[in-house]
Amino acid sequence: MTANHSSPGGALDIVVLGEQLSLLPQRAVLWRTRKMLIVADIHFGKAAAFRAGGIPVPHGTTRANLDALDALIAAHGVRHIAFLGDFLHARTARAPATLAALQRWREAHPDLTLTLVRGNHDQHAGDPPSQLAVAAVDEPWRVGPLALCHHPQELAGAYVLAGHVHPVVRLAVGRDSLRLPCFTFGTAQATLPAFGAFTGGYEIGGKQDDQLFVCTDDRVFAYPRPA
Amino acid sequence: MRRARSDETDEVDDDTPRAAARSRSTPVERWFAAQGWKIFAFQRDTWQAAVRGESGLLHASTGSGKTYAVWFAALQRAVPALGKAGPVLTAPVPIPGAAAKRAKAINQTGLRILWITPMRALAADTARALEAPLSALLPAWTIGSRTGDTSGSERARQLRSLPSTLITTPESLSLLLSQDDAAARFGKLDAIIVDEWHELMGSKRGVQTQLALARLRRWRPDLMVWGLSATLGNLQQSKDALLGVDRGVLVQGKTRKKIVVDTLIPEHPSRFAWAGHLGLQMLPAVVAEIDGHASTLVFTNTRSQAELWYQNLLAARPDWAGRIALHHGSLDRAVREWVELAIKNGQLKAVVCTSSLDLGVDFAPVERVLQIGSARGVARLLQRAGRSGHSPGRVSRVTLVPTNTLELLEAAGARHAVAAGQVEQRPVPETPLDVLVQHLVTIALGGGFRSQELFDEVRTAYSYRALRPDQWQWALDFVARGGQSLIAYPEYQRVVPDADGVDAVYRVPDAAIARRHRMSIGTIVSDASMQVQYLRGARIGTIEEGFIARLRAGDRFLFGGRMLEFVRVHEMTAYVRRATSGSGAVPRWQGGRMPLSSTLAHAVLDCLEEAAHDDYSGPEMQAVKPLLALQQQWSALPTARKLVVEHLHSREGHHLFFYPFAGRLVHVGLAALISYRLAQRRAATFSIAVNDYGFELLSATPIDIAEIFPASDMGGALFSSEHLLEDVIASLNATELTQRRFREIARISGLVFQGYPGQPKSTRQLQASASLFFEVFRKHDAGNLLLTQAQTEVLEQELELQRLRETLEELRGRRLQVCSITRATPFGFPLMVERFREKLSTEKLSDRVARMLQELEKAAAR
Repeated sequence: MTANHSSPGGALDIVVLGEQLSLLPQRAVLWRTRKMLIVADIHFGKAAAFRAGGIPVPHGTTRANLDALDALIAAHGVRHIAFLGDFLHARTARAPATLAALQRWREAHPDLTLTLVRGNHDQHAGDPPSQLAVAAVDEPWRVGPLALCHHPQELAGAYVLAGHVHPVVRLAVGRDSLRLPCFTFGTAQATLPAFGAFTGGYEIGGKQDDQLFVCTDDRVFAYPRPA
Repeated sequence: MRRARSDETDEVDDDTPRAAARSRSTPVERWFAAQGWKIFAFQRDTWQAAVRGESGLLHASTGSGKTYAVWFAALQRAVPALGKAGPVLTAPVPIPGAAAKRAKAINQTGLRILWITPMRALAADTARALEAPLSALLPAWTIGSRTGDTSGSERARQLRSLPSTLITTPESLSLLLSQDDAAARFGKLDAIIVDEWHELMGSKRGVQTQLALARLRRWRPDLMVWGLSATLGNLQQSKDALLGVDRGVLVQGKTRKKIVVDTLIPEHPSRFAWAGHLGLQMLPAVVAEIDGHASTLVFTNTRSQAELWYQNLLAARPDWAGRIALHHGSLDRAVREWVELAIKNGQLKAVVCTSSLDLGVDFAPVERVLQIGSARGVARLLQRAGRSGHSPGRVSRVTLVPTNTLELLEAAGARHAVAAGQVEQRPVPETPLDVLVQHLVTIALGGGFRSQELFDEVRTAYSYRALRPDQWQWALDFVARGGQSLIAYPEYQRVVPDADGVDAVYRVPDAAIARRHRMSIGTIVSDASMQVQYLRGARIGTIEEGFIARLRAGDRFLFGGRMLEFVRVHEMTAYVRRATSGSGAVPRWQGGRMPLSSTLAHAVLDCLEEAAHDDYSGPEMQAVKPLLALQQQWSALPTARKLVVEHLHSREGHHLFFYPFAGRLVHVGLAALISYRLAQRRAATFSIAVNDYGFELLSATPIDIAEIFPASDMGGALFSSEHLLEDVIASLNATELTQRRFREIARISGLVFQGYPGQPKSTRQLQASASLFFEVFRKHDAGNLLLTQAQTEVLEQELELQRLRETLEELRGRRLQVCSITRATPFGFPLMVERFREKLSTEKLSDRVARMLQELEKAAAR
């Protein structure tokens, strides 16, 4: 991983094994040379799964996820979306309304290539319905020098991008503090923040050698490395 | 409570044993006579009201005979012969075989009396007291208790057949109401006693009790209900909340009249009060007090403080090992029970405790009560004072032990307030929809309901007397359709009507939802807590998960009076071993902090007013004089006539200190309001610290005093009541206050489910944090009434909007004095070192983050 610099739209570019990756404030990675958008932990149908369990969650989170994807597709000419696991939240996430919304979205983007690297939730929820035309693969999925995974791990000869953790970090200065979603980049692997609109975060202590990048709604910032 | 105490027998009373022995006496009177006790007038009043079928509220203090006043009222209601002159009802010593047969016969008549207690820890002791007269009067009568502590086998047995009298908590009662045959189980109920109603009435547990009573009254229209209450500023409302507006009688029982409040004055009162300080400089004085008395209760305000004081007392007097004990709500039940028994038996020299010993059983041997730090309120102080002085000829006395110099002011104020008989009111929650939502599911489980019928029933509960049809419909939709009534969620299944139209009966068809609801019934909300257990197996108690999560293997912490070493967490249990030596962290529990009551805050302000006129009367004011003098010298003395604002520039940033002395709750609202109004003029982020005396606004960017307080206006605009509600709501949205309040609401209404050991994976997929729900509701269902409730609760309960309005008015009437200071004053210092802070920001998030990161870089470069 080498030096980074700010790019337009509040994104922050870094170079990993010669590949330039843009960290987007929308909590996704853009691999410009491949026109590939990488998102982790979208958890489609989580609200529906809660409702099926008798917990009233309002609708709108699926729409919010799809709108966010649409905006990124339009802004960056995305051709390929890689989902780093946890595409569907649970078996009960396969609610008719949720699947219908996904289907309509898919039909609006017929040329888009979609790949899912299966995560732990996908094991329970099952692969996306075939009409969605999402290619589901097991981790690691090697693309160039990168290995796309759900669970963080180290792999020989590749740099791993993973999800699963939903990392957030507490930024505390003096008496002021904030909790912000973040990317973590280590020497051999990175984790992405959760993309989903209805997902929580796990506060990481910040491994000393990991470089953190925090997301606000419109900019990504490098978190100062500990001295 | 077991018997009328001897210190009260010196009053004239005609109920001498001889009088009772007359042939025209009733079985109850004869039983009292046999114990050598007299019957107090208020006990007789209560019984007479009960025989007439009247409900009521009995106002009496602990240890005054109140338990038997209501217990015999209920018994005479259930078995009228007990209150009628006539022959002995049963043989004093029944023949075992016959008794067993009778027991069976009575058991078949089912539950007759329900005894509701706020603390499950009181259940065992209450059962003993209630059982005492039964062998003589009603040998076949059975008493059982059902609380969170009751074993599974006992619960199962009770479900087959409830005892004649059941002692239970509001939560366990709700659980019983969620059984599908609940109506049949309560079909023979004659009377309900609600013990310590003053503890319940101000909380959502009290609301839960109201709803349960409404349910039971519907099944049993002649049900008699009696509540017991300690002294409150609003007894009449307390009665209304329990029995309905203008229903029932208020019986005045015996209350302690002679109460002495005094203070241990530190020898060298420091001129700087540090809020985080635990007042250990008073340790020698406290040791001396304990030494001089047979048995002492040492009350602290927080569990952490109790742990520290216990540890330090032991360090000061190693010879007291085994003779002093620790008691707080996080300790294992077995430990607590052992301690309680040991106090009663007079085995302990001292017990360091928290509010866990505020309630319940009498500890006759207790001679001395010490209160470490301020009691925060007059009612609480009186309650704690009442823990001592049960021996003949003694008064109840509580001695305040200030933990910092400013608490001397509160001590002076408390003495004034007690002398003037000023006691706080306890407000009753108004229309809490989260409790209603929970209740709807409970009743849907407990046999189902029809909408109109249950609406009418719920409206008979005091807190819902103003429930509107649209609110009702919202709550019904929330449980039946998952929220907005216009959107159908076919996957949603919680409470389901069995038909269309008004006659539909709502039930819970899904067994998993039923199980989850029963697991989470209850309105006491704490952070998820974890069992703490030795590797070998003995349980020590519970600690909040948040504290455990920060520990690493090998870390030490103080808990249960011992230094422990953290080993690992496994399935909701934290395993520990004894640490050999050294020091460690002390767990900080949430919610340990009580705000200063308005009553006490005003008493303090009165004392300051006197001090401003150089009138320092009483030992407390004498002792605090040097501090007040320094405050006056460096800045100015805030009084009821003068508002002092201090401005300080330090390495941390730009500080503004305000001292309205209106109590912590009002200061939270006031600080949010003022910082919001300032941040409207110029985007800024304020870090806010609050205590009972004032608040501090800290900004990283400079504050222009001349701009904030122009000579022409002197703060008038800042303290204006105009647009108050809008500004307060806007300031709430800029802070996390509402979000924090929502945590509790999310749990009570069943959004957040905490899980349990060994839960199936499928339930884990249904776990999300309250803050996540808050966010999703705000974005996608802004009209959600639970959000509105969170906001209303913050406004009314946390910020006390009415008091805020009054305070603003008071502040506008005070003369403003702005002092630029070069170092923190005695009043400012405790605020400056306060670690818990609220934040209010009108800065754009990315600007704020950019600024913070820049500061971090700067700090790293230093």
